Amino acid sequence: MTAAGAPGAGGLRRWLERERVFKWLPFVPVQGLFALLLLPNFLLLVYLSLLSWRITRGAWWNAAFTGLDSFQRALEDSRFLWALARTFAFAAVAVPLELLLVFGLAMLCRRSFRGRRIYTSVFLLPMMIVPAVVGYDLSMLLIDQGPFNQLLSLFAGRTVTVRWLSEYTPAQLAVIGADVWQWTALTFLVFTAGLAGLPEEPIRAARVMGASRWQIFWHIELPLLKPVIAIAVILRSMEALKMFDYPMLLTQAGPGNATETVAVYLWRVGWEFARVSDAAAMSLILLVAVAMYILVAIRVLRRERRRLTEEGAV
Amino acid sequence: MAGIRLQRLGKVFGATRAVDGIDLTIPDGEFVVLVGPSGCGKTTTLNMIAGLEVPTSGDIWIGDDRVTDWEPGDRSLGMVFQSLALFPHMTVFDNIAFPLRIKRVAPAEIERRVRAVGDTVHVGHLLAKRPATLSGGEAQRVALARTLVVEPSVFLMDEPLSSLDAKLRVEMRTEIKRLHGTLRSTFVYVTHDQAEAMTMADRIVVMHQGRIQQVGRPLEVYGNPANRFVAGFFGVPAMNFVEGELHAESGGARFVAQALGLSLPGQRLGSGPAVLGVRPEHVRLVSAGESWPAAVSLIEPLGDATLVFLDYGGPSSLVAKVDAEEKLAVGNRRSFTFRRDRIVLFDAATGGRLST
Amino acid sequence: MRQRGFPLFPLVRHTLLLAWAAVTLFPIYWMVMTSFKQAAEWVTWPPRWFPHEPTLVNYVKVLTPGTSTFELGRQTLKILKPIGDSLIVSGIGSLIAVLLGSALAYSWARFGTGGRSYPYNILSIRMVPPIVIAVPFVVYFVTLRLLDTYTGLILVYLATSLPYVIWMMLAFVEEVPVELERAARVMGASRWKVLRSVVLPLTASGLVVTFLFVFILNWSELLLAMTLTNTEVSTIPIQLNKFQSANEGRDYGPQAAIGTIATLPVVVLGFLIQKHLLRGFSFGLLRK
Repeated sequence: MTAAGAPGAGGLRRWLERERVFKWLPFVPVQGLFALLLLPNFLLLVYLSLLSWRITRGAWWNAAFTGLDSFQRALEDSRFLWALARTFAFAAVAVPLELLLVFGLAMLCRRSFRGRRIYTSVFLLPMMIVPAVVGYDLSMLLIDQGPFNQLLSLFAGRTVTVRWLSEYTPAQLAVIGADVWQWTALTFLVFTAGLAGLPEEPIRAARVMGASRWQIFWHIELPLLKPVIAIAVILRSMEALKMFDYPMLLTQAGPGNATETVAVYLWRVGWEFARVSDAAAMSLILLVAVAMYILVAIRVLRRERRRLTEEGAV
Repeated sequence: MAGIRLQRLGKVFGATRAVDGIDLTIPDGEFVVLVGPSGCGKTTTLNMIAGLEVPTSGDIWIGDDRVTDWEPGDRSLGMVFQSLALFPHMTVFDNIAFPLRIKRVAPAEIERRVRAVGDTVHVGHLLAKRPATLSGGEAQRVALARTLVVEPSVFLMDEPLSSLDAKLRVEMRTEIKRLHGTLRSTFVYVTHDQAEAMTMADRIVVMHQGRIQQVGRPLEVYGNPANRFVAGFFGVPAMNFVEGELHAESGGARFVAQALGLSLPGQRLGSGPAVLGVRPEHVRLVSAGESWPAAVSLIEPLGDATLVFLDYGGPSSLVAKVDAEEKLAVGNRRSFTFRRDRIVLFDAATGGRLST
Repeated sequence: MRQRGFPLFPLVRHTLLLAWAAVTLFPIYWMVMTSFKQAAEWVTWPPRWFPHEPTLVNYVKVLTPGTSTFELGRQTLKILKPIGDSLIVSGIGSLIAVLLGSALAYSWARFGTGGRSYPYNILSIRMVPPIVIAVPFVVYFVTLRLLDTYTGLILVYLATSLPYVIWMMLAFVEEVPVELERAARVMGASRWKVLRSVVLPLTASGLVVTFLFVFILNWSELLLAMTLTNTEVSTIPIQLNKFQSANEGRDYGPQAAIGTIATLPVVVLGFLIQKHLLRGFSFGLLRK
């Protein structure tokens, strides 16, 4: 150990050196942050859900305690339930779509070829754009007399005017499309990383054994890509369930409630209708719905990571 | 069963000539070792034989087939890679069975053959395990089993033993040779380790900078090197090299170096700068006869012999390998000579062997 | 690997890739073009692919100082202050997150502090939909008087960025061989010196990538910003949202200008970190 300077300073520094102290240094502020920020929040959330409080009626600590009333109201609120179902449905459509798309793109971009750099740079662009911008940018594109319809007309050979923003299903497709457009980039990144990490020599061995391209893909590459696929699905669905920006900016959750995801509805309940307790109760229900999913996702991530360190690369 | 023929085989990567037009004929059943330092082209050559690299020039024949353009899978080869390349997500059984599954062999047949091969290489008890749980030697055998199970006509091996520790390496060397003895197939084995080459090969192919330097049986390559590179590559410790000049003499030649001069009667070797080569085991410590004086500067006892470093006045010491019983100490003054019939001379510029 | 069997493959490949590249670029192209169009050209049929009379007036409108107004019929969008606000909030929040998170990642990777499950627990925080925490946060912040403050939003962004920072930096820290650190310590270096002279240089690119990534994330964030701010702090996404929902006769030009401005720095940054993004995204699942 190097000699310290003045005894006082040396003493402090040496104390910080000790492994027991050193390793906890970053944890203290972080755990403190979480403890101060997230824990009280959660407790507050639970408490609020047990009240019957509207912001307009004064401070929350004066509000009436009504127990599980808010929950009952929430579960009877069909709009809430629809929003919940809709959100999961959107995710269920968007994520597989992206996965397939990205799989194809990543496989095509695997070996280096002229122009590959340019393609990958372009493909990553959407990720960098503010989702709110994407939202209204697409709203510009998708107006009845907009360029998108014009392109469709070109391909269809006749004038196409799909009313993307004012009709039920097209609006939903538009919102899903926004999500796919933007986040394919991230999934592409993950897949490219995964493909690059495939061990080379087992694949060459398989070639020498006479395996066809398809056999190599199916028996060797795909199983080895399982962790990557797991990560991509987890990441993407995590974000898809939070969908807020696109409905807000593309369609204002319209027409009607066609694109009202649960995040948007909760926002409305809490901020536009000011029924805070109801919003709190609904948030908790949402949390429960998502928690199952989170647990599964974490378990999968853990398993794949563990399997990787065990398998190594032989 | 098939022999291999390489005709004017070449591979160029951008500006580098990895393999520079080599010709080689490997008779069926021979165990051939391609040996050389890193970058000499041996692995590239092997990959071309396997079909993993496409030659930029020349042809390859396996048996009677001109396979130059064939896909690797059509060439009926077995290949073991340096990293063993076992499929980490499959059990040992599935690893060995994989080539059979590709060819759509019936499951019952697969079961039989995998178990048979498993017994041959003594991995039968490991069939349910995964590669990550195997030891180095066990993994080696599984890799071997995987190639054996398809009964290929040619076996290719790319430095398969380099990841093993010394003891295991020696064991596996014997295993592989034994396998060769039983199967009598053609083996093409790549290594950078000259000891491996010497002990395993029927014939050695020495490669350097993309070209074949010499082809021959191990003792031939050792005792009769074609050039300085080959001479210096084999033998531990390496051959002693002394730079000097050759002068034509009546009836022969004379080699003159900084502190050395000797006559070579009966040898017409021309004249000019030359390098004299003599192996440590051919440097003798003598007390009489034509010799040169030297002082012992370093002693390395090997157990069965002793290495003696001799300062004789030349630019670097000579190494002599002497009997372990010799009593020597640093600083001793001794005289040394060479076994005349074991001296080799090389052209200083080209490195080529000079002989009558 | 040779593509022997399928001579037309390069052609097919380029066709497919070009198709998706076109899909990717189309909205961006349109937005940039619109930002340079005068009002008359915004909504035409057939749509104008290139402004006939390009202008900078949208940019001027948007970048001159002033506050945005959203009343019907009189919308103006001013983006100078929001740019500043976004920079402050995202910049500071991401910076602190990276500092704390990398230290934490290092501590966990080398010492296992917090237990084996720590990174997974942290990640589950990020998995919770922000709306769930938004509701209590407002109440909490009102009580703490942190509503509509820079500090408040920074703290929230800090908390939500930490999971990503930890996971990304984990990948980078695990790449540094422990032997290097041990060698340095044997030579007499203190732990701080080891961090500074060994770990930091080797993870520098990882730090930059992680910072830029969470910066992009925070810069783009809408929901929490909306709920936790009002007039004092207003980030760019908030402005966009207000504008979008407020008006009926859309002011496309200035909107497009904002979009372009909001996007440009991020695109440039993202472009720079591209190569390194790959490593950070392995989540520790890449085979080395």
